[in-house]
Amino acid sequence: MTWTSRDRVLAAINHEEADRVPIDLGGTGASTIVIDAYDRLKTFLGLEHETAIRSKLNHLAEPDPMIMNRLGVDTRAINAGGYDGAVGWVDDLTFIDHFGVTFKGTTGTDDKHFLYKDGPLCGGKLTIDRIDAMEWPDPDNPGIVRGIKEKVAGYKAEGDYCLVLNVPDQVIHRAYAVRGMVDFLKDFYRAPEAACYLMDKLADYNIRASQNMIEAAGAENVDVIFFGEDLGTQDGCMFDPDETYGKLIKPRHERIIQTLKSETGGKSLFHCCGSAYLFIPHLIDIGVDILNPVQVTAKNMDPDLLKDEFGDKMAFWGGINTQEILPYQSVEAVKAETERCIDIFGKRGGYILNAVHNIQFEVPPENIVAMFDTGKNHRY
Amino acid sequence: MSVAKIFDAVMEYDEEEVAELVSAELANGTDIQVILGDGLVSALDDIGEKFSAGTLFVPEMLMAAEAVQAGLDLLRPLLAETGVKPIGTVVLGTVKGDLHDIGKNLVGMLLEGAGFRVIDLGTDVDAEQFISSAQENEADIIALSGLLTTSMPEMQKAVASLQDANQTRNLNVKVMVGGPPVHQEFAMKIGADAYGMDAPAAVEQARSFVTA
Repeated sequence: MTWTSRDRVLAAINHEEADRVPIDLGGTGASTIVIDAYDRLKTFLGLEHETAIRSKLNHLAEPDPMIMNRLGVDTRAINAGGYDGAVGWVDDLTFIDHFGVTFKGTTGTDDKHFLYKDGPLCGGKLTIDRIDAMEWPDPDNPGIVRGIKEKVAGYKAEGDYCLVLNVPDQVIHRAYAVRGMVDFLKDFYRAPEAACYLMDKLADYNIRASQNMIEAAGAENVDVIFFGEDLGTQDGCMFDPDETYGKLIKPRHERIIQTLKSETGGKSLFHCCGSAYLFIPHLIDIGVDILNPVQVTAKNMDPDLLKDEFGDKMAFWGGINTQEILPYQSVEAVKAETERCIDIFGKRGGYILNAVHNIQFEVPPENIVAMFDTGKNHRY
Repeated sequence: MSVAKIFDAVMEYDEEEVAELVSAELANGTDIQVILGDGLVSALDDIGEKFSAGTLFVPEMLMAAEAVQAGLDLLRPLLAETGVKPIGTVVLGTVKGDLHDIGKNLVGMLLEGAGFRVIDLGTDVDAEQFISSAQENEADIIALSGLLTTSMPEMQKAVASLQDANQTRNLNVKVMVGGPPVHQEFAMKIGADAYGMDAPAAVEQARSFVTA
């Protein structure tokens, strides 16, 4: 049979081997590429065009179909169109988003980064009254669905790709941004009731905004639902997996994932940086089908270990070492690592090839092409 | 002995209880060093061990560090009065181009708990700021943090500048590095004096520099 891109990805998610390993670039907000690396890539490939920006704040490019076809990419993203009426850019280094969170950027290096610095619930004690009094963004804002219908129609006209709905926001990470990371982490002890209330409201926002996006895209066109947040660190867990995650955070994640899965029939792709190992049983429990970005350099994230222990229930999306190999090693090393990941993660399906997280600023184009070509030339 | 209660209150993340117990011990005439060592520092060491072992996590570490801070706030003026000096001075910060700070903040809190004077320069700090602050504050150690892979070349630059400053500007500062992309091999390669695998390990390294 001839495999379409969509068939190829869905086979992998269903733990079946297709003709080759499926490939993602740009299907999610955590599997695309930093603008500078993209600009070098398109020059290297001789495919010059104006770079579309996916996120100015995160310095991310929206890969052009020309590049995606060259690399054999099987996915396409359904993203929120924006948000009408947010403050936006105040100056080159200051951005205020629709939650009223201020982001600040760095200066003096070529690689620009922005991080939240102030939000509407920062400082003082977290209370339910304060959360209610905050000016909340509207999940029915017309900007969110703008362009989605046309974009999906365009994808469908071009080919049969796996379409990934990117849930437009997060729960814990959004709570960090509006409240401050250190304070929100302490709120699990100081004000657990208010912390849960805030997470519930954020889950409501994400569900409602996603439902609007699904309506615009057509529920039948949503193959994969991308949502998640970082629960791991390089060497362990951000939170107690069974207490803080299992009892306080997990129910909110479960509601988002179950609601959106049941309304689309799509598969759940969950993003969790760092050592996800101890969270994986919880994620399987709430209906997650695929883990991203599979940070293989973090503790207990060895491909063999993950595949052995969870390979029959969880597929893996990402995995190519972005902390050591992609930026700093040779083309040969990249090829060897990509082959290793395909062999281990891709056995009996269960693997979608991509870097661990967005391809970063310093990754040379030769290495990017080597990674994707290894996947494109792969045959089961 | 009720200093043990201070230890317990830290383990329960109860900052008010810690402050009350420390005040009570001071009123009883308990030696400040005993309150500090057997109460606060040993509790924080215990929390640090549990963090490294993966049985306690970031929220618990933050809560414990805050509880210790409540006790330190009461002891600090008395320590200064009695002429007790900090065990060393550390200039701490996240390197140029990087804004991530929770790991760095944990290191700072634990270092303070362990009796260091900590000058936290914040995030996006260039090499010259580290060096001039170390000079001004007569620091023993500079601790560089970063989360991004692009922070690694920045660390390399900062370490090179510092080594240069040690030679040319009459400084005698050790430099340690830490953060998710960093590892022992990298730390040695760029000529850093030490690598802190996690916050408690960073404190151990810092201690070894000032007691050596």
